[in-house]
Amino acid sequence: MIQKLLVVISLVFAAFAFAEEKNTCMSCHTETGSPEAIAFKSDIHFQNGLSCSDCHGGDPSAEDMEAAMNPAKGFIGKPKPADIPVICGTCHGDMQKDFETGVHGAALKNNSEGPQCVSCHGIHNILRVKDPHSPVSALNITKTCATCHSNAAYIKQFNPGLPVDEYEKYLTSVHGKRNALGDTKAATCVSCHSNHLIYKVKDPRSPVSPMKIPGTCATCHSNKKYMAQYKIPTNQYDDYAQSVHGVALLKNSDESAPACNSCHGNHGAAPPGAESVASVCGQCHQANAELYDKSVHRTVFRENSLPDCVVCHSNHLVKHPEDTMIGFHPDSLCGSCHSDVATDRAAPVIKAMRTTLQGLTRGQTEAEELLNQAEQLGMDVAEAKYTLKDVNQSLIETRVKVHSFAKEPVQESAAPGLKVIAEAREAGHAAVKEYYFRRKGLGVSTLLLTCLVVLLYLKIRQIEKKQQ
Amino acid sequence: MKSRLSDWVQERFHLSGLVEFAAKKKVPYFRGSFWYYFGGVSLFLFIVQVVTGILLLMYYQPGAKTAFESVHFIISKVQFGWLIRSIHSWSANLMVLSVFIHMFSVYFTKAFRRPRELTWYSGFVLFGLVLAFGFSGYLLPWNTLSYFATKVGTEITAVVPVVGEPIMQLLRAGNDVTTSTLTRFFGLHVAIFPAIFTVILSLHLLLIQVQGISEPESWSEYPEHKKKFIPFFPNFVLKDLLLWLIVLNVLAILAVFYPWELGQKADPFAPAPAGIKPEWYFLFMYQSLKYIPAKLWLFDGEVVGVLLFGVAGLLWFLVPMWDEKTPKGLRNKLINYAGILAVIFIIAMTILGVK
Repeated sequence: MIQKLLVVISLVFAAFAFAEEKNTCMSCHTETGSPEAIAFKSDIHFQNGLSCSDCHGGDPSAEDMEAAMNPAKGFIGKPKPADIPVICGTCHGDMQKDFETGVHGAALKNNSEGPQCVSCHGIHNILRVKDPHSPVSALNITKTCATCHSNAAYIKQFNPGLPVDEYEKYLTSVHGKRNALGDTKAATCVSCHSNHLIYKVKDPRSPVSPMKIPGTCATCHSNKKYMAQYKIPTNQYDDYAQSVHGVALLKNSDESAPACNSCHGNHGAAPPGAESVASVCGQCHQANAELYDKSVHRTVFRENSLPDCVVCHSNHLVKHPEDTMIGFHPDSLCGSCHSDVATDRAAPVIKAMRTTLQGLTRGQTEAEELLNQAEQLGMDVAEAKYTLKDVNQSLIETRVKVHSFAKEPVQESAAPGLKVIAEAREAGHAAVKEYYFRRKGLGVSTLLLTCLVVLLYLKIRQIEKKQQ
Repeated sequence: MKSRLSDWVQERFHLSGLVEFAAKKKVPYFRGSFWYYFGGVSLFLFIVQVVTGILLLMYYQPGAKTAFESVHFIISKVQFGWLIRSIHSWSANLMVLSVFIHMFSVYFTKAFRRPRELTWYSGFVLFGLVLAFGFSGYLLPWNTLSYFATKVGTEITAVVPVVGEPIMQLLRAGNDVTTSTLTRFFGLHVAIFPAIFTVILSLHLLLIQVQGISEPESWSEYPEHKKKFIPFFPNFVLKDLLLWLIVLNVLAILAVFYPWELGQKADPFAPAPAGIKPEWYFLFMYQSLKYIPAKLWLFDGEVVGVLLFGVAGLLWFLVPMWDEKTPKGLRNKLINYAGILAVIFIIAMTILGVK
């Protein structure tokens, strides 16, 4: 704040000084028809009293050209690209610091072709950011960024792997479309990436890094006042944060978990249409999507314009799927469309799928309890316990096969798991049986040994009596 | 029938002399004669060790990739394998305990005195071999505890000046405890130690038979008619057998109710588990070393500790040489005090070590 005040004060003093002092730079260069001098007259800096010498150095009061552009008086001529942020930073120190910390500053440091202040803001005709003609105004910024970021030949000098289709995608996004219609509230590049302090996307400090993306989107999308005019919900972030995806990313820091951009796209952000939902979810849930594509549900949902996966799993609030979702119980989903009546052909399939899944989960729990019981009795059931873990794989596969919405594939993939459960149970029962066998064996042997001891004792007594 | 059979044996092996010898042999019978039976119990437990050890040998495979697995196979798949393994482990521990009791009973009754010095020396070597059996056998299941206990145990030998380091390398078959150590310990446990043990045990038993069982000190002044004896055969032998049966039953109870755990497979790259300790019979030495300061004047505390144990062991071994009879040939009190001190020290340090 104090710095800004000082800048304003210095600009005011400079204006007074300019009023009184001569500016031979402007007078000569205007006379010679220099486009820079002509453009500079509309520049915000000129209008606030700054002169050419504030950036280029020299003595604007000297009548003689040689004296005015004397290096001894600080004249530097056309500044080198790397020096520009330093010159601008004389007044705009904070921005210079941000720029140099960010990815653009690093690019300039390594390559003189890299971006600097004038690449975005213009050179001698710099306008206020809010001025609609400014290249960095809300309606122009995306085009300005695209000057470099859509130029494959230019971008590859710095990062050959960086895509150059961001602007094209942006134009297809809801943000881009609204921006094109003149909506200055619609998100532009700087809304998400920031302006001067831009980090690489993978840098955890970046607002578009995987962990921060939901929060960045929520800046606008959870702001009821800001979003009021668009008449769309603002609870997406809250829902997402509670979802299986949100918990994985935000609580468990699993960066492979999907964020907003994983489903909506990043530069081309838009809600996926009903027909695209399965493809979007299928990016990660491939096996489920393949089964769904061949299932009866796909046809029916398409006919009724229902959004595929979202029908059962919701969109932002995707909960961890439970086996109870299948069936006709109060907390089951199938009952929303189907009925447990003889006329509904799906009813036996739904029941069979639920029974199969229960067979695996209950069977696994019961077998585990049995093996634990045997273990507590001191029996070694480590091998059976280890093999029982295979049921998890079978369970995962079976749960995926549910998306075929047919009982045969579900039962087929459950079969190996059920076999393992049966073997584990057998091992558990055998171990418990063995435990009791050992106890009985010990009892019998103790009895025999005790008899022998008693007989031996009597024999010794008999011998001793005889000897006496 | 019985007579024909004994004639047949007599004709071929001339055993009548041996039977006559056993029948004439007498064992002193007094208040403390109970302690005599611990020699027999130790022998019985050794026989159990040999029998169960041979059975385990049918399935055990030494090697970093097979040792643990084969022991697991024995206890989980082999019919009665769990019983054999548990009895082997329990009888090994009871044997160490029995040998300790036997040794101290011989010490306190002064049975090591002339002419039985050689019996004491051979007994002491057998005691050392029993500990060596325990140490080498402990590593064979190749589980976490045995691996790190062996590492710590062999490390202590390196403390001994000059010869310590080569001894440790000889024991480990290298610089560290590896699969080479395992195969070396296996060879020692099942071939070398049993061979030496059998020879020395035979000598020990022979000496006992030839010299007879030592009479208590107080009997030296007794007239012959006041001394009470029981025949070695059948009285003593039958009583011994009775005790063996009880010990066998104890072993079976321990094996069924407290089966010897196998634990987790050794992982040489894993950090040593917290509170790693040697087997209970080495615990008193291990615990004592912990109490010795790191520096004792100019010397390393651990070196001093190990050397002191070495000297104590040597003195114990040579006790027939420095024990002097009183003018009346009665008990030497110094010997008794030293023995009592040793017993108290071992028990106290073991209890502290267990805690």
